[in-house]
Amino acid sequence: MPNIHGKAYAMNTISPMKPWKTYILRFLFFFWRHYKPLGDGLVGLSFIHFARWVIVPRYAFPRLSEQQPKNDLQYDYLLFFSNFNGTWNQYIDAFSAVLFEGLNLIWRWSEKFPGSRPVTPFKNFIVRGQVETDYYYTAYPHAATNDVKAAHRVQLAFDDFERQSSGMPPAKFAEAYQQFLVKIQSDLGETGEAPVGT
Amino acid sequence: MSNQSGSIYGLTIISPIKDEPHLEISHSLAIRMYLQHLHTILKDGEGPFFKVNSTHMARLVVLDDVVYFGMPSCEEHLQSKYLIFESNFDGELDTYLSRLARDAKEEVHNIWQHCIGYPGVENTDAFISYMKRCQVETTFYFADVNDKSVQQTLRALQTQSAVASFIEKNQGMPPNELQNAFVDFSKRLRNAPPPKPGSTKGKELTDKVL
Amino acid sequence: MSKLDVTDIQGFAMRGYNFPFARFLFLNFSDKEKSRECIGRIIEHVTTGERWDHGKPKTTVNVGFTYKGLAALGVPEASLLSFPVEFVQGMKARAAILSDTGKNSPDHWDPIWHEGVHAWLGVFGLTQPDLERRCPELNAILQEGGGATVIGSQDAAALQINGQFTSKEHFGYTDGFGNPEFLGLEKESQPGQGKLTEDGKWTPLATGELLLEYADEAGELPVAPLPHLLACNGTFMVYRKLHQNVATFRRYLSEKSKLYPGGLEKLASKFIGRWRDGTPVELSPNEPSPAIVQDPNRSVNFTFRNDLDGTRCPVGAHVRRTNPRDAFGFDGALVNRRRISRRGMPYGPYTPEDQPGSDDGEHGIVFMALNASIFRQFEFVQQQWIEYGNDARQGNDKDMLIGNHEGHGKFMIQGSADRLNPPFMCGALPNFVELRGGDYFFIPSITALRMIAAHSVDPR
Repeated sequence: MPNIHGKAYAMNTISPMKPWKTYILRFLFFFWRHYKPLGDGLVGLSFIHFARWVIVPRYAFPRLSEQQPKNDLQYDYLLFFSNFNGTWNQYIDAFSAVLFEGLNLIWRWSEKFPGSRPVTPFKNFIVRGQVETDYYYTAYPHAATNDVKAAHRVQLAFDDFERQSSGMPPAKFAEAYQQFLVKIQSDLGETGEAPVGT
Repeated sequence: MSNQSGSIYGLTIISPIKDEPHLEISHSLAIRMYLQHLHTILKDGEGPFFKVNSTHMARLVVLDDVVYFGMPSCEEHLQSKYLIFESNFDGELDTYLSRLARDAKEEVHNIWQHCIGYPGVENTDAFISYMKRCQVETTFYFADVNDKSVQQTLRALQTQSAVASFIEKNQGMPPNELQNAFVDFSKRLRNAPPPKPGSTKGKELTDKVL
Repeated sequence: MSKLDVTDIQGFAMRGYNFPFARFLFLNFSDKEKSRECIGRIIEHVTTGERWDHGKPKTTVNVGFTYKGLAALGVPEASLLSFPVEFVQGMKARAAILSDTGKNSPDHWDPIWHEGVHAWLGVFGLTQPDLERRCPELNAILQEGGGATVIGSQDAAALQINGQFTSKEHFGYTDGFGNPEFLGLEKESQPGQGKLTEDGKWTPLATGELLLEYADEAGELPVAPLPHLLACNGTFMVYRKLHQNVATFRRYLSEKSKLYPGGLEKLASKFIGRWRDGTPVELSPNEPSPAIVQDPNRSVNFTFRNDLDGTRCPVGAHVRRTNPRDAFGFDGALVNRRRISRRGMPYGPYTPEDQPGSDDGEHGIVFMALNASIFRQFEFVQQQWIEYGNDARQGNDKDMLIGNHEGHGKFMIQGSADRLNPPFMCGALPNFVELRGGDYFFIPSITALRMIAAHSVDPR
């Protein structure tokens, strides 16, 4: 299943946009980059490692030789690439439940977008525009983004504790150790295989 | 700089694929077949990105055509197929592209030889130039963790797993023994070989340390 | 919303009867016409959702069908294929998705589940004699004229301790809390059962999370079979016979509690998020509280927003995994489409707490859950929240009590600086619970039963 490597799913979608609408979307993305991170909601959901939107204007598909035929396109294209954790259905259910306004703002400029609620027509729209991944690599396949973040917290706390506890008398060490445990106690989930995709 | 989020670079490359008549296997099909082969050896820890190990996540997608969503939108088609390369990596773009050409030269050649304008991997500068001609600007880039390298992440996962094991093993120990065990443990953790990309299952990470 | 016709909905779907005795009969159909006639005869005995204004009946009867059962009844193929995929495949075929592997794999199930269970007949009784009187009557009706063969049965009964019926299960936990509340289904409302609104109040869930052909929490109708009338007022039941390794559990609890400063009962409460008397740990972390348990306004009325660290109720505790409430933020929006209604009952004799108990023998829970979408509700909870921990930010760690641990895996209890509430790790987890069989059943409305019996299902 090349769409998946470990706990990560590589989703690619493509959707057409009338060129005048592209300007609006560009502005929205610009706005989000500088003022209000769309990131907030994405960080809250915490199941995307990396995601990107790429607007490819109709004349911008690379043409590297005179022999290569020219494209003659009416639409600009919005490409979306996501590296997410969880099943396909879970992912889209969550977005539709919780980030539907943001999704609408991004995709309403695409032709035939039905809105992100209710969820079933939205899923049909995504299926229509989803392109299969042919090869997918992740450096830490057994770690969801939650696991990665937890691991970094543990590393930080461990380094601090190791440094601070060096040379402590045993009783004091034991106390400091308990505090260390309290700090990392929610971050110790084991990494491993993902549940079977349905 | 929309291609960048923190210390992570989001590279999007769209390379037009050759389209020659009278071939038994088209170039796009050949790419697909090769990628399918690469997919089967992923589980053995083999592939181009294990070697270019500043890669967090990367994918290759053959885009046959744009998608028609139905009336009243217009039906249109691409005149070429494209190979999309999406990567999320640490460091500078030029360094990354050079590493691809050098450390993964065989795979890179086997894939991109089917693409228009590909100059080969021997001349790194020419290769970098070519790839940049195919680069498309990432319009909006999100990275959940954007300030840690692949190596830092692998180390952290190892620490996390090892610490969990340590806690379990030493639960209820009297302070003296606990401290000794900990000192010994942190030494072994420091000296443990860094985990390899792809080998990130709990047990795999800690077998080397404990 | 449309008014529900309770006489059309099977009573079992509408509420738990709270009868202490039950027998579940499993049927096989070998002749389409005869089996339809059999269903026709049974319909008048099926208990509906109507209120018992004149006192409880002595027994109740309800019926459900597997996909194979519907096919054996001659339901048209176009209609059969319009059922949700997971129901069509049946639970056995979904084993990989549910982590029913190793000890829980179909290879270890009771033989009946390899024999063609077509229908489930659920008979509940107020007393054992009532049950013993009713079942032979039903048997006779079922087997009349070769309509159906009873290929097996499963008895269940509330555990009796010191001569009193309890709602405990074999590990000693008081069960039966936390069933969701649905719009339009008459029931005493309990704060905490429904979903949270933006201003922190509790409100019932959409009817369509339980019954087919009603709007669900996503504002649409869940996948349902054609025609509309076949689906309407029906629901799906997940039936799982869960054997409990009582000796293993008692031994594990006892051993671990030697190192746990809070003591054995507190440790047990951390495993699931309720003290064994049912007090939610979230409301009373230091001791059980009969006052809370007996107050329906309090016994399920809690949230996790002030305990995101898991200091009171561990992040991976059973009740928190199966109903995260607001633990994931967004006012619980990610949870509202993942609720199930449980109707389960214990089976087998109870071993008093002061004895070691046994892993062998027939005792456990007959788990029965009702939902409009098995895939989106039960299977999701089972796969993502029980057998996996990412949403709870616990990586691959499984539900401590019912996870398929296979001897490894761990459960971390979050704690604080309080000496009696320390961080504590429970490792080398054995399987406390083992799956011994089950399947997915369609619980049709009375109208749908008549249509099936009369062979008048038209899928268009």
